[in-house]
Parts: sequence; structure tokens; C-alpha cells
Amino acid sequence: MPTSRDVIIIGAGHNALVTAFYLGRAGLHPLVLEQRPVPGGAAATEEFHAGFRISTYAHAAASLSPRIVRDMDLARLGLEMIRADPAVFAPLDDGRALVLYRDTARAAQSIARFSKRDAERYPEFAGVVARLAGVLAPLMHKTAPGLGAAVPGDLWALLGAGRALRGLGSRDMFRLLRWGPMAVADLVAEWFESEPLRAVIASRGIFGAGLGPWSAGSGALLLLRAAFDPEPTSGVWFVRGGMGKLASAMAGAATRAGAEIRTNAAVAGINVRDGAVTGVTLQSGEEIPGSAVISGVDPKRTFLGLVGPANLEPQFIGRVQNYRCKGVLAKVNLALAGLPSFTAVAQTPDGGSALTGRIHIGPEIDYLERAFDASKYGGFSAEPYLEAVIPSLSDPTLASPGQHVMSIYAQFTPFQLRGTDWNAQRENLGAAIIQTLGRYAPDLPSLVLHRQVITPLDLEDQLGLTGGHIFHGELALDQLFSLRPLLGWAAYRTPLWGLYLCGSGTHPGVGLSGASGANAAREFLRDWKKRRRS
Amino acid sequence: MTSSSRYDAIVIGGGHNGLVHAAYLARAGKKVLVLERRHVVGGAAVTEEIFPGFKFSVCSYVVSLLRPEIIRDLDLPRHGLEILPLDGTFTPMPNGDYLWRVNDHARTRREIARHSPLDAEAYEEYGTAMAEQGKFVKPILGMTPPDPSRLGPDVVRKLMFLGRRFRQLPEPDQYNQVQLMTMSAVDFLDQWFETDVLKATMSASGIIGTFLGVRSPGTAYVLLHHYMGEIDGAFRSWGFSRGGTGAISNAIAAAAREFGAEIRTQAPIARILVKNGRATGVALQNGDEFEARVISSSVDPRLTFVRMIEPGHLPEEFLEQVQHYKFRGSSGKVNLALDALPDFKCLPGVGPHLRGAISISPSVDYMERAYDEAKYGRYSRRPYIDCVIPSLTDPSVAPPGKHVMSCFVQYAPYHLKEGSWDEQREAFGDTVIETLAEHAPNIKNIIRGRQVLTPLDLEREFGLSEGNIFQGELSLEQLFFLRPVPGWAQYRTPLKGLYLCGSAAHPGGGIMGAPGRLAAVEVLKDWKS
Repeated sequence: MPTSRDVIIIGAGHNALVTAFYLGRAGLHPLVLEQRPVPGGAAATEEFHAGFRISTYAHAAASLSPRIVRDMDLARLGLEMIRADPAVFAPLDDGRALVLYRDTARAAQSIARFSKRDAERYPEFAGVVARLAGVLAPLMHKTAPGLGAAVPGDLWALLGAGRALRGLGSRDMFRLLRWGPMAVADLVAEWFESEPLRAVIASRGIFGAGLGPWSAGSGALLLLRAAFDPEPTSGVWFVRGGMGKLASAMAGAATRAGAEIRTNAAVAGINVRDGAVTGVTLQSGEEIPGSAVISGVDPKRTFLGLVGPANLEPQFIGRVQNYRCKGVLAKVNLALAGLPSFTAVAQTPDGGSALTGRIHIGPEIDYLERAFDASKYGGFSAEPYLEAVIPSLSDPTLASPGQHVMSIYAQFTPFQLRGTDWNAQRENLGAAIIQTLGRYAPDLPSLVLHRQVITPLDLEDQLGLTGGHIFHGELALDQLFSLRPLLGWAAYRTPLWGLYLCGSGTHPGVGLSGASGANAAREFLRDWKKRRRS
Repeated sequence: MTSSSRYDAIVIGGGHNGLVHAAYLARAGKKVLVLERRHVVGGAAVTEEIFPGFKFSVCSYVVSLLRPEIIRDLDLPRHGLEILPLDGTFTPMPNGDYLWRVNDHARTRREIARHSPLDAEAYEEYGTAMAEQGKFVKPILGMTPPDPSRLGPDVVRKLMFLGRRFRQLPEPDQYNQVQLMTMSAVDFLDQWFETDVLKATMSASGIIGTFLGVRSPGTAYVLLHHYMGEIDGAFRSWGFSRGGTGAISNAIAAAAREFGAEIRTQAPIARILVKNGRATGVALQNGDEFEARVISSSVDPRLTFVRMIEPGHLPEEFLEQVQHYKFRGSSGKVNLALDALPDFKCLPGVGPHLRGAISISPSVDYMERAYDEAKYGRYSRRPYIDCVIPSLTDPSVAPPGKHVMSCFVQYAPYHLKEGSWDEQREAFGDTVIETLAEHAPNIKNIIRGRQVLTPLDLEREFGLSEGNIFQGELSLEQLFFLRPVPGWAQYRTPLKGLYLCGSAAHPGGGIMGAPGRLAAVEVLKDWKS
């Protein structure tokens, strides 16, 4: 007879580990079940070619919540963050590049090479973004209020948000209300005239989402990202040793707090009796009883796959089916024999160090939009929008001296291709990406020793992300805040007694912040304490 | 006619909203003067004889949103308003099939079942759900938006009212409501239907007058905005006005005159007179000046604040917001005088399918591709077209045996990447005819006259900046308390005595009359205090 666990957590992605940590700290002993051989989910470092190590999936942790880092004491457990500066290097077709620095004044100098007017406006823009972000940031670490029922707690939360809004003053308040539903292309056009700057800033509103810069609501995504990282450039935080180090530090923290992590333990189903969870069954057939289950996997997989439609109301199932969760992002990892020579680097005052941050390929709004267009009809553009990094420039542990690794997010690569599939197109995508990079760094194709292409299909297969969506569900107005994942179910609870969600498919859900995991832990513990008292 | 130059109120622009506004002020006993630039009243709701014997609803061509309280208050039927039914929507498909929805539910159900039995079921449910959504939104159309930045008792009351209404909705309706406010038309419809052509045709009403595609978030709301016509107590459906849409304007004008308003045509305004932060009157282009305590502008914010008010009178910050207000006209209009009726390949002959709307919207991808071209500054090579042939329902608008056909065309972006609309007007007209000819090949041989209106023409001729038919896009960031400019959604402006009463004000465009009426309510409120 297996021993009953108080809490079972499904998946050991970063959010689940955060939840496990906070539960452990509250005196529980959660059992974390991970299907892969290592914890961390999309935060992983692997030797993908002899002598070359890379963050296989996610390659940066810009939005990691400082409070969570502190609470989990991750620094002591080996987490070392490297903040890249210059933050952005955006090469253009004319051989120039827009280089943005974390320091606003320095960034403005750089912008002045493209537009004096934009350079003057940039500090003001940075200030506005920082102020709006300041109002939004606390909301990321709170449970989104329910809109339907008039729960007093929710009303207080709304009132609190309302007070913070009014504290902004009417001008910023209206900005916040307007920017959310706007197309990010319109937003940047209101501020700036130079295309490269517009494109770099607008990319924050579309990254990882099935939205082009002209799509309404991309403004909300920019604001959401700013809530975690108010710098308008959205630079890169690397983890020394790769993202796997973040995973191991988090796993260490969770274990130290009292959690147990079992790897190679894929959950086949969540067991339910009379509307309450009773535990889980592993793919091995092993049953693990538990009085509560917290799922770190996405809502579709949780409800449709693990719970199953038989245990839920048809209306709820219908809504979960309609939850939009089709990824548009692919990842390509390159082992390079040397540092690629971007033509534009010579034009910048920084030389090679210009490449330490994110390399943004998407020189114009229209370029980004065209890359998006192709995906609407089930294809990918021959000129995709790319966010690349060369982490070995700031982290020598990843490759031998002189050699480098490059990690590239490629967008827009729709999960469902029309008339073909990813197994047939995987290498074509890889080739299109190398060719696109080759336009800005002509020697890059010849430096490639090895290429690893991870399509949305691979993300689903390898990480269990439904639709290959790295954020566990589309980031659009109808699936954010109180609507994430569904209206009425944004408080990490589910229609089943004892079943909770803690993954990116819950508020705030964007980026690698751990906020979903921490919020879920708080809501869970609130119920748990009540349960114990009664 | 009285010719004193001192009035209580001057209304700039004799479009339907300006006329409604004037009628309400006159009804309250104010001495009102309406000044219209053109030779006819009506603005974009106008009937004109473009070719001898052929009368066109030149711009706006169907009606459904006209507020019932306005029809009642102004007694419009007595002044000649008569709405004739527009029955159904006929969508020809390139594969030789078609989708033909009519007002008769049972028939439409059978027709949709031909494409998908599941969708036929869902269609019933959808209709009921949308009617509920319409009921929820309707009071908002009759409400001056609160200003959330100035928390007073009135604002709190309105916000509480909206919050309570929302919470009182049954849960499924709450769910639909938040989706309508946030989703794209296609994403929303995807949840209900599987038939592509059905989704394409239905999603079309989500993009009308916007520079958005059917897959752009925010378009589901416009879907609702247009759907409300189908549930409004008075008419329950879209219709034609007998004599064209100009007849609506004429009826409102007649009501306004009966209440004592004076209406002058061919009276273009040069500028609004401002003294000490207060609008005091207007100067016409011919030099005549009129004074009034209230100046209400029914023209759009760009014309009002940038063209008609001399620099220096308005706060910089306010003008910046006006600059940010998006017009971006995306549609054109082709009006055809026909010797015979178009003959559709998929349903040949003359039949009742020609009496409703004929929608060229064969697939969701077709609609989206039409948008893609416009994004990069070209008019769609294969545009979305919404046609009506009002002469089949109202023979008074064409000579016996002849017909008028009105084609609303999207996308035709105001800002072309190459060339000008003056150079491309006829090519654009040809594209529309070519597109129609793919479905009804005889169209080319029956055209006796053709009028092509590009967004530039709408701007020049009808005073709609950038040719936007709603005086500004109906996108989420330009609705309710953000319309037209955040903080100024209560029909007032930074200048005392100057009000907005056109479609650029809440709740926006369409022949609705609501902005004109609500602005009058606010003017009269201020008058007392």
C-alpha cells in the first residue's frame, strides 16, 4: 500500500518547482512528478554537440521575479545571472545596426544616429513605460480578480488596482487603458519615427504570441512584459551555465524546503472520485494517492488529457477545447566554429561586444508583420522574425575558447502546417533561419558545426506543451488576467475539489517569472489551512 | 425665415447626427442653426441622382441601428421615414455553391444544415446568445460614458451600474461578453461554427469601417455593434429606407425644422470663433459670422480641432491626443446603374436572393488576404464586397426595368503605398467589377453608369477625414470613455461652449443618431447650470 501524499505536483517546470518550494516552506511535503529525466521543463542545459552546451529551450530569464529568487535563496544554490549590455543589437538591411543599451541616455545617443527626434523622445517613453509597469508589477504577484461573482476579496483587489491607477494621474491612466487594446505598431508609431526602433520595441508585444505588430491587443503584451522588466529594450538575463542551472537551483530549493522530486515519472491520469481528486496514476501503472493535485502542465493537457472529459461538465470541457494553445515559436541551436561577423558590428562603437545581448532580426514593422502573415495560412516565412543570442560571449562554460553557441527563437512557425508537417519541414526551417542570419552575418553559414531545430511539434513531444505553445496558451486579451485560462477559473482553482493549476496557463503566464507558481501556492495554502481548521 | 445672427446653438454639419442633435435642442426650445457645407443635408446618409433617373444612397446604404427613442421622440414616420425590409444575405462561393441566409429561421436553418448540420444547431444558439449580448450592451449606447479619471458620484454610479449589470448576467453570457470585448471575429466564430463560408460572411460585419482583419483581436466587438441592429425592438433587422438613406436625413431635418431649427446648406465653415477659452460662434467661408452660446460640431475631431480652430486655443496635450485619434479609412463604394440584374453562376436567374445583401466573402482566408494587401498600402485585388440592389425593393429609385446596385468595398486604404487615389480610382472600380464578374459574369454587360468613391473621395466630398465612414476607427482603444479622446468622451471639449455630436463621439458610427442625441442631453444639462 503506497503512502498517501498530502500534495502531488505534476511536472517539474519552473512554476511547479516554485509552487513546491512555497508548499514545502509552509510545512507540506509535496511530491513532484516529472516525466523527463531532469527537472526544469523548458529550463534545461544540454550538450547538443560534443563540447557545446546550450540552453536547449528557453535561453534567458529576464522576467524571473527577484522576490522568488530571494525566497528560494537561489543565488546560494548556484544561480548566477548575467545581464547583457548592450541589450539589443538589431542589424539592418543597409549594413547599419541599431544598438540599444540599458542606460537610457546611452541608448538615446545610439538612437540619434537614426532619428534625433526619437532620441529625444526615448527617455520620456522609458519613463512612461516604467511608471505604467510600476502599477502593473504588483498585479503580477496577485491573484487576478474574478469578474463574475462579487466576492468581497475580489472587489478589494479591484479597488486597490483602481487606486493605483488613479495614483498615476489621468494622463498615464488613460495611456494604460488605451495601450492595452492597441496594436503595438500603432503604439510605437505614436512615439517614434525610425523603423528599426519601432520594430525593436514592438517585438515585445508579439514575442511568443500569435500576434503580428498590427494585431490589436499586442500592446497589452508589451505592458505585461514591462511589468516584469520595465526597461523598454527588454534585454537579456543569462544564467551562467545555461538555464539548466536555474532548474537545478530551483529543484534544490524545493527539495531543501521539503519537497520530493521524482523524475522519469510521467503522469498518465489524475484520479477523480465524486468531483474530488484522489491522486494520480503514472504511465507505469503505479497509483499514487493524494488529497490534492497541483498541475504544472497546461490547461488543455490537464483537463482534456489527465482528468478526462468524463469527470468535468460538458460546458467546461467545451471552453477548455476552445482555449487557444497553438504555438508559433521554434528554437534553433547552433554550434559555431567561431564568432560570426555581423557586417554591422564594424559600424558600432562597441565592436564584437555589441552582440552580447539579444540580436533582433526584424528591421521593420512590415517585416515582422509579413513574417506573421505566412503563419496565418499555415506556412512560415522565408524571412522569419528572429531573436538570437550568443550566450558563450558572456559565459565561457558553454563552448571551448574561440568557439561559440548561438540560440535562436524563430517566429512565426505555426504548430499546424498546411499541406505538410514539421517532420518534413524541420530542416527547411533550419535552412531558412541560417539563410536569414547569413544576410546580416555572411560567414555564419560556414561556421555552423551543428544545428538543432526544435519545432513547435518537437516542443509538444519533448516537453508536453500542448500545441507546442511555450506559454501554455495564447497570450491575447481574451486569455489574460482574469480570463487566464478561463473566466471564473483564474484563481488557480478548478471545478474539481483538490485540483489546482500552477503553470503558465494561469495569470500572469508570460515569461519565466515563477509568478504563476508562487500565486498558485498562495491560493492553495489558503484553502489548505481552511481545510485543516474545519 | 428669421435672419438674426444670434442663436442659442449652432450645429456644424447637417449629417444625420447633426440633424438629430439640432432637433433635440430645438425641441427643448432652443434657437438652433444647422450649417451644412454641401447642397443637401444628410452627410453620408444621402440620396443623390447620380445618373438621370438613378437615385443612389451614395455612401451609407442600409439602416438598422437608428435608435428607437429617436424615431419616437422626433416622430420620424410622420416626417416620411419608411423602412423596407432587407431580407437575408446571399454569399456566392467559387465552387459553384452558395450560402443564403434569410430572416426566416427555419429556412436559414435548412440552408446552413446543407453545409453542416452541427452549424445549423449552433446557429440557433448563437442567435439567442447574441441577442442577450445585444441587450447587455444596448444601455451603453444610450449612456454618456463616465470619465474614470474624475471620480465623482456620477462616475461611481455608472461604473457600479455596469458592474452590477455584468454580474447579474447568467454566467454563459458573462463568458460570451468578455470574449466579444477581446477576441477576433474569427476566433469567436470558430468556437461556434465549422463552415468556413458561414464564418467568413458573418465575420465581415466585424471589420466594416475598421482597418483590421477578421482575425484581428477587437473585431468581435464590431460584430456585436452591427448585430445590435438585428435585435432592436423597432425593426429587428436591417432595412432600406424608402427613397434611399437620404430620406432618413430628410425626415430628421423635417422634424428639426418643425421644432423651429433653421438649416442652411452650402454654408461651409471657415473657423470656429474663440474668445477667452470659449467658443462664441462660427465664421463661414463667405465671411458671414454667426454667434451662439453653444457650438456643436458633428464633424470629426480633426476637422473640428485642427482645421476649424486656430492654433493656440487648445492645450498641446489635447491636440496631441487628437493627432493620435485613428481614422485610416479602409473602404470605398462603387455605385452602379444597371440595365438588368446580375446573374449569379451559382444561382442563376432573378430571384429573392437578389433582394437582400449579396456578400462577396467566400472564405475566411479570402477575407484575411484582402486585409493583408491593405496593410502594405494596396487596395485588395480581391476585396470583400457587400452589395445591395435597393431598386428591387423600392422601385422609386430607378427607371422602370432598370436597377441601382450599391457595392461597399473593403479594403481600400486611404494611404496608398504607390500612386494616388486620383490615379487609381478607375483601376479600383475595375477590380470591383472583375471580382463581381467572377460570380456574376453578365455584370460587365449591364452597367450603364458607374460611380467610384475612394476613401479620398469620401474625405473631399463628404468631409470624412481619411475617408473613415465612422469618423474614426471603431477599435477598442477608441470606444466608450476613450472616444474620441481619453478624458473627453462626454461630448464636451476643452473649449467652453464647444461640443462634439457626431460619430466620432460615443457610441460611434452607423446611422444610429445616438451621439447626436446624447450630446444634446449634455448640452441641455450644462445649459441649466
